[in-house]
Amino acid sequence: MELQNKKEISGKVTTIGFILLGVGAILIAASFMVNKERAFFDYLIMYMFIISIALGSLALVALEYLVGANWSTPFRRISEFLSSMIPLLILLVIPVILGMHDLYHWTHQEAVETDPILKGKEPYLNNQFFFIRLGIYFVVWFLFFIAFIKNSKNQDKDGNVIYTKRNTTLSTVFAPVFMITLTFCAVDLMMSLEPHWYSTIYGVYYFAGTIVAAFASLTLISVLLKQNGYLDPRIGNDHFYSMGTMMFGFNIFWAYIAFSQLVLQWYADIPEETFWYMMRWEGSWKYVSLGLLFFHFVLPFLILLPRSVKTNLNRLKVMSIWLLVAHYLDLYWLIMPTYTHKAGLHGPVFGWNEIGFPLVIIGLFMIIFRRKSTKNNLMPVKDPKLEAGLNFHL
Amino acid sequence: MSYDATYTKELPLVPERNSFKEIDDVILKPVDSKPTKKWWIAISISGTALAIGLFCWTMTVMYGIGLWGNNNTIGWGFDIVNFVFWIGIGHAGTLISAILFLFRQKWRTAIARFAEAMTIFAVLCATMFVALHTGRPWLDGYLFPYPNQNAIWVNFLSPLNWDVFAVNTYFIISFVFWTIGLIPDFATMRDRTKSGIKKIVYSVLSLGWSNSNRNWQHYERAYLILAGISTPLVLSVHTIVSFDFAVSIIPGWHTTIFPPYFVAGAIFSGFGMVLTVMIFVRKIFDMEHIITLDHIEKMNKILLATGTMVGYAYGMEMFMAWYSGYIFEQFAFLNRAFGPYWWAYWIMVACNVGFPQLFWFKKIRRNIPIMFVLVLLVNVGMWFERFVIIVTSLHRDFLPSSWAMYFPTMYDYGILLGSFGLFFTLILLFVRVLPSVAISEIKAVVPGAQPTHHNEGGSH
Amino acid sequence: MINKLINIFKKVNEDQNPWKDERSENVYAVAALFNTPNEIIHAAEKVSGDGYKDFDVNTPYPVHGMDDAMKLKPTRLGWFSFALGLTGTLTALSMIFYMNGIDYNNIIGGKPFFNFPPSIPVTFALTILFTGLTTAGVLIALFSKLPWLNNPLLDSDYSKATSQDKYGIYIKSSDPKFNQSEVENLFKSLGSSAVSLIYDSKVNEKKIKTPIFEAGFIKILIGVAIATSAITYITLNWLIFQPPFDWMVLQPKVLPQEKSKIFADGFGMREPVAGTVARGYMPYEYKGMPDSVVKLLSNPLPVNEKTLLTGQKRYDTYCSPCHGNYGKGDSRLRGQFPNPPSLLTDKLINWTDGNIYHVITNGQNVMSSYAKQISRDDRWAIVHYIRALQRSQNAKDSDLN
Repeated sequence: MELQNKKEISGKVTTIGFILLGVGAILIAASFMVNKERAFFDYLIMYMFIISIALGSLALVALEYLVGANWSTPFRRISEFLSSMIPLLILLVIPVILGMHDLYHWTHQEAVETDPILKGKEPYLNNQFFFIRLGIYFVVWFLFFIAFIKNSKNQDKDGNVIYTKRNTTLSTVFAPVFMITLTFCAVDLMMSLEPHWYSTIYGVYYFAGTIVAAFASLTLISVLLKQNGYLDPRIGNDHFYSMGTMMFGFNIFWAYIAFSQLVLQWYADIPEETFWYMMRWEGSWKYVSLGLLFFHFVLPFLILLPRSVKTNLNRLKVMSIWLLVAHYLDLYWLIMPTYTHKAGLHGPVFGWNEIGFPLVIIGLFMIIFRRKSTKNNLMPVKDPKLEAGLNFHL
Repeated sequence: MSYDATYTKELPLVPERNSFKEIDDVILKPVDSKPTKKWWIAISISGTALAIGLFCWTMTVMYGIGLWGNNNTIGWGFDIVNFVFWIGIGHAGTLISAILFLFRQKWRTAIARFAEAMTIFAVLCATMFVALHTGRPWLDGYLFPYPNQNAIWVNFLSPLNWDVFAVNTYFIISFVFWTIGLIPDFATMRDRTKSGIKKIVYSVLSLGWSNSNRNWQHYERAYLILAGISTPLVLSVHTIVSFDFAVSIIPGWHTTIFPPYFVAGAIFSGFGMVLTVMIFVRKIFDMEHIITLDHIEKMNKILLATGTMVGYAYGMEMFMAWYSGYIFEQFAFLNRAFGPYWWAYWIMVACNVGFPQLFWFKKIRRNIPIMFVLVLLVNVGMWFERFVIIVTSLHRDFLPSSWAMYFPTMYDYGILLGSFGLFFTLILLFVRVLPSVAISEIKAVVPGAQPTHHNEGGSH
Repeated sequence: MINKLINIFKKVNEDQNPWKDERSENVYAVAALFNTPNEIIHAAEKVSGDGYKDFDVNTPYPVHGMDDAMKLKPTRLGWFSFALGLTGTLTALSMIFYMNGIDYNNIIGGKPFFNFPPSIPVTFALTILFTGLTTAGVLIALFSKLPWLNNPLLDSDYSKATSQDKYGIYIKSSDPKFNQSEVENLFKSLGSSAVSLIYDSKVNEKKIKTPIFEAGFIKILIGVAIATSAITYITLNWLIFQPPFDWMVLQPKVLPQEKSKIFADGFGMREPVAGTVARGYMPYEYKGMPDSVVKLLSNPLPVNEKTLLTGQKRYDTYCSPCHGNYGKGDSRLRGQFPNPPSLLTDKLINWTDGNIYHVITNGQNVMSSYAKQISRDDRWAIVHYIRALQRSQNAKDSDLN
């Protein structure tokens, strides 16, 4: 059967992407001019969100090889395209580095000198080591990204199984490396915003959110492509059901991890730990925290529970957008309280200053996705598992 | 098939095409035939261990838990170590039967029944330890909330009470899941047997199951729902066990990664135990072509993955202990690795993280003798993990004046031995009286067992 | 008796089953066997397509696509599980809320009496328990209508084949379209390897409508009820008081006023460290003084519903084991501790509140001080409650008006 994509994704996608990117960039620039500190925090949220999608998608690619799944093979390219943001991460980190003094308390040398706890952490939390670590993450991610994509692309030419084998080996190595780098990346970029606070589960928490976001974005794009007729007609309800189940399952995993962290710190009631939650409970932050509980877990759980929702493309589309927004909210909840607390505000801030950032994310992904999809096949056409994947039935 | 099956991990589950009658015969052979000499030897060994355990158990009931090595500082000793150990063992069973079912890993069918039985027996062993640990096990009924004349209710804020609910629910649901799976097999046994007594027993147990598709339809959905609820249940049980430790403020216990870390460890140790037993069973009962080397290789891969997850947790604990800047936490972890119990810590790290790394090599994953040694080490390592967590965290208290060491007594060892005796006795009885592989499930995944026009062009 | 049992056992084992299944002449169904899953799917499609309703397929394992072939409606089992699961959630939450939040408040680690995060584990466990048991129960009883041991299919060659390696289909004679020869021809034309008739079982003809009302069953039921009650009674009232089951009062420990070798001065009871006071401690100014001194102490609490309910609660928890639920001195301690005198005597009715309070706080004769267990306010509330008991247990006829 002919497996080439039937038509090219319309150029409109790129145009809209550029418009969003432009509008977003203007808003961001204005935001930086009006309130630099606040904009840096917003920027960090955006940056972490891009990492979630890009790296999470690469993890999904690896996961498919690792467990030998074949239902997801027809969608693997979508994840591969999404992970193409990885090379850009190096450029995008520059504003974070410029804003380090505003973001991270531990960069204030005078504060470190007077604070024994921060002094004790200095061997880890210092500028040089921070840069070195960031460098290591980017290099590692970049190399794995290149290797995965190259093998996958080469297979399109001759369909040699050796590429599948190589990527399988690669993914076994990638799994632990990914977990470790992602953990420390989360510790460095987000947890160290509150340098006194610590939680051993933090890496797993961010990992859970990442995978939810990656599945949600994969589902969203797959549904959009399917509805516009870009996907093979054999891709049907069973595929989307599996995708919905994965999203559902990992969302429960996220709730489980979040609950574990909360209940342990709530119960032990040690001031070293609880202040972090207190910051997210003071003033109207309380409603954001409760909102996160309902918006990220309770409602999606109840909505996604019946089988019928997971096979209905429109509902699935809504739910995947929902979960992406929920992940953004989650990151907002993780990052923003540090700013409001520092600024002496007793509640969350949200206004036009924040709007530009998500627009940039959407714009960037649209441009990159369209670019990649015109250069590559939308499906790994010669993958040995493709046939089985297309014919997948429950 | 247009692709090489090796790289899609879609190997046939049962390599040779066995006729269904052969499957019945092989699986039911231990049930239908008289016990062999090997079986008698095995049960006499496990029975002796059980008898020793029963003796120590009785002594403990008579004279109290003062017979144990627990002391003022180390209030939780072997009792809780073994409880957590056995509960962990149980987790692999539910994982294989429920989680792998949800992920549609069909290779699970060969081992699911067996693993579920292990779950039930392991939870029994675990319950025995906590029941005894309360000191007056005949009063354990007070653990449940019931209206009483003193107008007192149990304290739902206590993680120990959460355990009561979690472990009991776990046992009941595992048992229900297992029993539901057994009903069609009882029907098969009922229709095969020649003995009148057996026929009556199997008829009653099979509830008159007639393999009707109008029943299969609901049966399959019920099985899916039970698998769906067992999955979060199994995660919650070890999570709640980890809460017993982690909600306290003892350094080394109070760390937020405990719940997923305990769950990963439980799956790891459970798979270790399942493999240990499975290697024997497939040999003794000639089931090598039903429980194949491929199944075992897959389980070894899971061992590698979960072992590495546990290693991640060890690393995070160490790092965060340093990073926290909290001197008690830092001391607790230095003390673990280099204090008086350094040997236990390094046994744990070596057996749980070090040796399983050998499973990176395909040759070792498929080599039964080497693998057997490795899985035994996994069992040892996971037992030591609980020992390290409980004893080393307790023995260096906040007050140096109450620092102490832990010396288990012969009663501690006796009851531990007895729990193994109980476990293996139950396993040996189980393989004699019940089908240790789910007959109807294995038939459903034999090549050619499903209609071809349902999904043209390949397997899934 | 024993010989009779042995005989039955022997007969059964030699397959001379005294309850052996006997068949009547009525045709229950026409059944056909097939050899491959494809054939059975085809047969099921044909039979359901021909408009038969009372038919079923028997296969050794669930065959994919059979539900569609038989035109079965999707199962509604999930809704039962969901509904009962939700019931479990609500049961657990309301139970915890009532027990710890309302009825029995206890301060533990300074935490609120009822709070959501620590209620989740138990709530979750009960949700799962309810869901699991419902799913299994509903599957067996409601959807599969089991146990059904006199199902005519059982014990037939047809049934034995389908539980091993054949795929069977049968059409019941109760189907409106049923016509024996037509059905047989239909099965033959579909390529069945064996078409057979299944006769009704004689047991079915007797039409025992409600077997639970049979004498034998009721006898067994009564026997089980008596045995269970007896065992429970003996266990709770006798067995657990026998050695080696010991009670806390019996364990080796230093009792009040006893000597102890641990301390140089030989006193088992120790004074607090000099100059220290426990948090929240208020000295009791009449400690150890005779009753006459404290007569004038008056109850600071108002008599209202709340006070009386608190008093009742504390009385039931701390006082009632010895004094009895109504203060009659009917102890529940089964002679392990001497029974106290009744609280309803004229002597006590004439005591002042301060006097009763003093006894609770200070102890009297063998009764020890309850100052540590019960807070000051609660002690005063108990005093009010004892007054209420005294009044209610000595009620006059005129109270009814």
